[in-house]
Order: sequence, then structure tokens, then C-alpha cells
Amino acid sequence: MTAITVHCLGAFRDLGDHFTVEVDDVSVSCIREAVSRHLVGVNRSDLDAVLKRSVFAEGDELLKDHVTVSGNEVSLLPPVAGG
Amino acid sequence: MDLFARNEGERYLCGLIDGPCQTTGLDDLVQDPAHGAIAQFFGVVRNHNEGLSATAVDYDVHPELALKALSELCLDVCADYPVKLVMIHSRGLVRVGEASVVIAASSAHRKDALGAVTDAIDQLKIRVPIWKKEIGLDDEQRWLDGHSLRKD
Repeated sequence: MTAITVHCLGAFRDLGDHFTVEVDDVSVSCIREAVSRHLVGVNRSDLDAVLKRSVFAEGDELLKDHVTVSGNEVSLLPPVAGG
Repeated sequence: MDLFARNEGERYLCGLIDGPCQTTGLDDLVQDPAHGAIAQFFGVVRNHNEGLSATAVDYDVHPELALKALSELCLDVCADYPVKLVMIHSRGLVRVGEASVVIAASSAHRKDALGAVTDAIDQLKIRVPIWKKEIGLDDEQRWLDGHSLRKD
């Protein structure tokens, strides 16, 4: 198992600045599933719909679900709403 | 801390600043003796949204990604229009009546400057990693929904 630190942005800030999930492999899809389980664990399943529309980033790169992360930290970006 | 990016040819300047944006002096940044038109857009926090009253918006930003997205957006707009362009967005608290985003473009003729500003704000709203937390009269806070960056 690998520990991945997930940095929270936007609506996910309600969970704190970051949290950690454990994953079997470091694909983004696996991290997404682990975050979904985390939301259940902290009684915030209401954010699961936001999670489905969110994207993960590593550094300044947006990641598609099939890729693997190279480090152990990602950012979780909900739908954007600037302006 | 304020963050700015500028391209080598100085066709554009973009940035993120803490707190509200200044709405004066923006035209000076895009002045060009060959340009006969300057268009500006100020996005200002209003006191209502979706039937609810608001007193302020707290903007959350991913600094690295937002500056990268703003730079790419400026490059795209400058590729589409022969303009000089400035785009600055706030992060943190911006109160009603204060500007959260300011954009200015200059061009030889007005259509390009007006088109560039319109495209810039339209694209900013769907491409740049910035999030709004609206603050109500009773200090109630809610995150506003937006556009997904997910491509798969």
C-alpha cells in the first residue's frame, strides 16, 4: 500500500487543507476510488458527485484517470468557478 | 503574495493578486502607439446570487496551475487577436462592489480589443483553477458550482 496526500481545493477545503489515502496502485483512478471511500468515512458522501466532476493534478499537470502519479502528493480540483 | 507572468514579447501580462483588483491604470499597461482601441472588463462582486444575498466572495486558487492556465489562455487569445492583453484575478476575500477580475486589451481597431476581452473572460471562467466561496448576510458560506476540468 502507498500513502497519497491529497491537497484540497474549493469545496474539498471543507475536509481540511489535505488528507491521506492508502492505495494499492498509484493510478489516478485508484486514488479517486480511495478518495470516494474517504468521503464515506468522514460522512461527506454529498461530495461524491463533486468528486466525479473533479480532476487530480500533480505539480502543475492535470492528470487523466488512466495515468499513474510519480510522487505521493496530488491536488484535488473540483469544477472551477473563477471570475 | 502576488504572482505574475509575462511573455517575452510583452504581448500579455497575467497575474494573481491578494484581495480586490485595482481598476485604475489598467489601460496604461496595454498602451501602444500603434493601437487605437482599448477595451476593459471588470468583474465585480455583486450582492446577490441565485436568489440569495451576498456580502463577499472568498476566492480559492491553485497558484501554480492558475498562473499556468492564465498564461496559456493569454497565449491563445493573443494568437486569435492582434492585441496587447492584461488579465489579473483576485485570490482571497473580495467584498461587494470590489473587482475580482480585471482584463484590458488594446488593438489597432476596436473589434479585436473587444473580441479579445470577451473571449478572455469567457475562457477564464471555464479553464482557470479558481473557486468561489460566497459569503451571505448571516455569514453563511457556500461553494459555488462551476465547470469541470475533467477530460476523461
